[in-house]
Amino acid sequence: MPGGHPAPPGATPYGNTGEPRRLSPRVLLIDPIRMLPGLLLPLAGVLVAGGFSPASFGWAALGVAGSVVYAIVRWATFTYRVSGDRLELTRALVSRSVRTIPLERVRGIDITAPPLHRLLHLAVLKLDTGAGGGEQEGELDALTVEEAENLRAVLLARRAVTPSRRPEGSAAEPEAAALYGAGTPDGVARDDAAPAHERAYGPAPDAVPGQVSGHHDERVVGRVPRSWLRYGPLSGAYLLTPFALLAGAVGLFFQVSGELRVDARTAREVFAWVEDRPALLVAAAVLLVLAMPVVGGVMYAVFNWDFTLRTRDGYLVAERGLVTRRTVSLERRRIRGYELVDGLIERRFNVVRLWAVVTGLGDSETRGQLLPVAPRTFATTVASDAVGPFSAPLRRHPPQARRRRLFRAITPWLAVAAAAVLLGWEVAALAAVVLALLGIPLGLDRYRSLGHAYDGKRLSVRSGSLRRAQAVVERRAVVGWTLRQTVFQRTSGVLTVVAGVGAGTGGYPAIDTGETQGVEFAAEVTPDWIRPFLAPPAQADTQ
Amino acid sequence: MSRRAIVLWLIESLIGFAVFFGGALLLAYWIGRSDWSALPGWLSDNAWLLPLVVGVVTAPLVIIEPLWRYAVHRWELSGDVVYARSGWLSREWVFVPVSRIQTVDKAQGWFERALRLATVEIRTASHAGSSTIKGLDYDVAAGFAAELARRAQELRDDAT
Repeated sequence: MPGGHPAPPGATPYGNTGEPRRLSPRVLLIDPIRMLPGLLLPLAGVLVAGGFSPASFGWAALGVAGSVVYAIVRWATFTYRVSGDRLELTRALVSRSVRTIPLERVRGIDITAPPLHRLLHLAVLKLDTGAGGGEQEGELDALTVEEAENLRAVLLARRAVTPSRRPEGSAAEPEAAALYGAGTPDGVARDDAAPAHERAYGPAPDAVPGQVSGHHDERVVGRVPRSWLRYGPLSGAYLLTPFALLAGAVGLFFQVSGELRVDARTAREVFAWVEDRPALLVAAAVLLVLAMPVVGGVMYAVFNWDFTLRTRDGYLVAERGLVTRRTVSLERRRIRGYELVDGLIERRFNVVRLWAVVTGLGDSETRGQLLPVAPRTFATTVASDAVGPFSAPLRRHPPQARRRRLFRAITPWLAVAAAAVLLGWEVAALAAVVLALLGIPLGLDRYRSLGHAYDGKRLSVRSGSLRRAQAVVERRAVVGWTLRQTVFQRTSGVLTVVAGVGAGTGGYPAIDTGETQGVEFAAEVTPDWIRPFLAPPAQADTQ
Repeated sequence: MSRRAIVLWLIESLIGFAVFFGGALLLAYWIGRSDWSALPGWLSDNAWLLPLVVGVVTAPLVIIEPLWRYAVHRWELSGDVVYARSGWLSREWVFVPVSRIQTVDKAQGWFERALRLATVEIRTASHAGSSTIKGLDYDVAAGFAAELARRAQELRDDAT
């Protein structure tokens, strides 16, 4: 085992055609514990059926021993090795199967350390190859932490020198650093970002952006101080956890009751007993609602504990978690932009969440996250440092857009109210009228959110109110434009311009721009694609 | 667009009309038969009006839509950018540079085969940068798809 010796990427212990290696044997201590829940019921069944006779204990012990042997055999027959530009996973348990993963297809590496693994100093390494559907193509469960770090360095370095992907003809080993060392491919100079960091220092003294650490080209882009965990509940994340827990408990109850042969009559008696005590139900409901922010906040803190974003050899590495420590590496070359998201309440406190827009990233909701809830100034600093700066002010959309936002926020509820009145449902009608009134500020806010801009390198569009999202995407990531105009938009003289991007959600719309404004926006970003069509046909169409 | 595309759109709008009108008939029949007390009396008494209104409103559209579409739909390949305009009530303009095209498909449905028409599907890495051009003459579509595929091969830009 190459314990903790700091192998430089590409060098031994893997060599050019590395020896087949096994997972850490310490995982054998974890496996039986992980199997325990699955074994518990069958074992209990065996014991009960056998009437707790010595023979039944013997069978149960045999079952446990069998599962341990199975774990050992599985461990002994699974090997992996880095061979040239491929990672080979060999499983020879029953039939021999070799899974080969070309390193050039590795888009990200995800190292997770669940609690038991952390106790034994182990980690799970997952390869994201962009195979679609969030499917993992390779999982190594489990390696020692050092081994996982080494393997990651090797995989990523190899990946960078794989000839077919190499932009320049350099052959030196530390070229990953050379390629990406001087900032992002866009030449984002680090020194420029420094004064902005200082500004971000203001609100929380322990926020440490832009700190240089020893490893290769490693540098901390942003570290979220623990005091900012208090913003967590504002995002609405995990607020429904108490309900999920309740649902899980109910599900478990039904499963267990099935096993223990609790018949329907007993269940009905229990429900009747609860039904007779409405105070109990109300108390439980109040408790659940009160638990929402507390449990939500705790969950948020557990998942986002000590969130740290680093750059390392051309990768962005996000690390987080209190119990399960998770490390996600995103290849910077595949990052096309970022998205700033804030909800209604978050905007009051001037905090946002930050995601990267990455091509071919499965499970981008958790993996693409660059920052949890953090103050806006800090988030924009981190975004411009990690991805690229964007400072152009957003252009407003024409007043017709405001009329349309208002119309769409109000009229559906008015229609519902009218229908309810016709059918004689006063309460429903009243509720719909209230919602229609709430639609006025909502519509106005939705209009305020609308905007688009282009600063010569990146374009940005923003929309939404309850969940406002501003996307900033590189110009070179745009693969096409779609301009849409519904009948109603035509009568208002507005249209929606969608920038097609082969990353993130696929399309980023600028909603309800003015007719010439929208066409101009597309033409401004990619003049060669739009201008030739502007003169005779498109201009005539958009009047 | 080929003129035969009008026939294709006519068939499609006829099918749409049949579905709508049939649905309205079924709904009217169901409302007329049911004695659900929540429905006010005037509604179930006048249920037969529904298919009538649907029929009167949508029947002219069956004719108008194909002609209108024929007037609106355009496609063009110039300067290595594919431009396609479609829609009738709502409009859609799509600009796809050939350098970002990943696949070019040529497809024919039943009616299209009967009418010797074809659909060219241009796919990029993003749904918003992808375009479907319907109702092309088969030979035109074949030539266009081959040309696109050839140019895309030459200009392939792996920025996405």
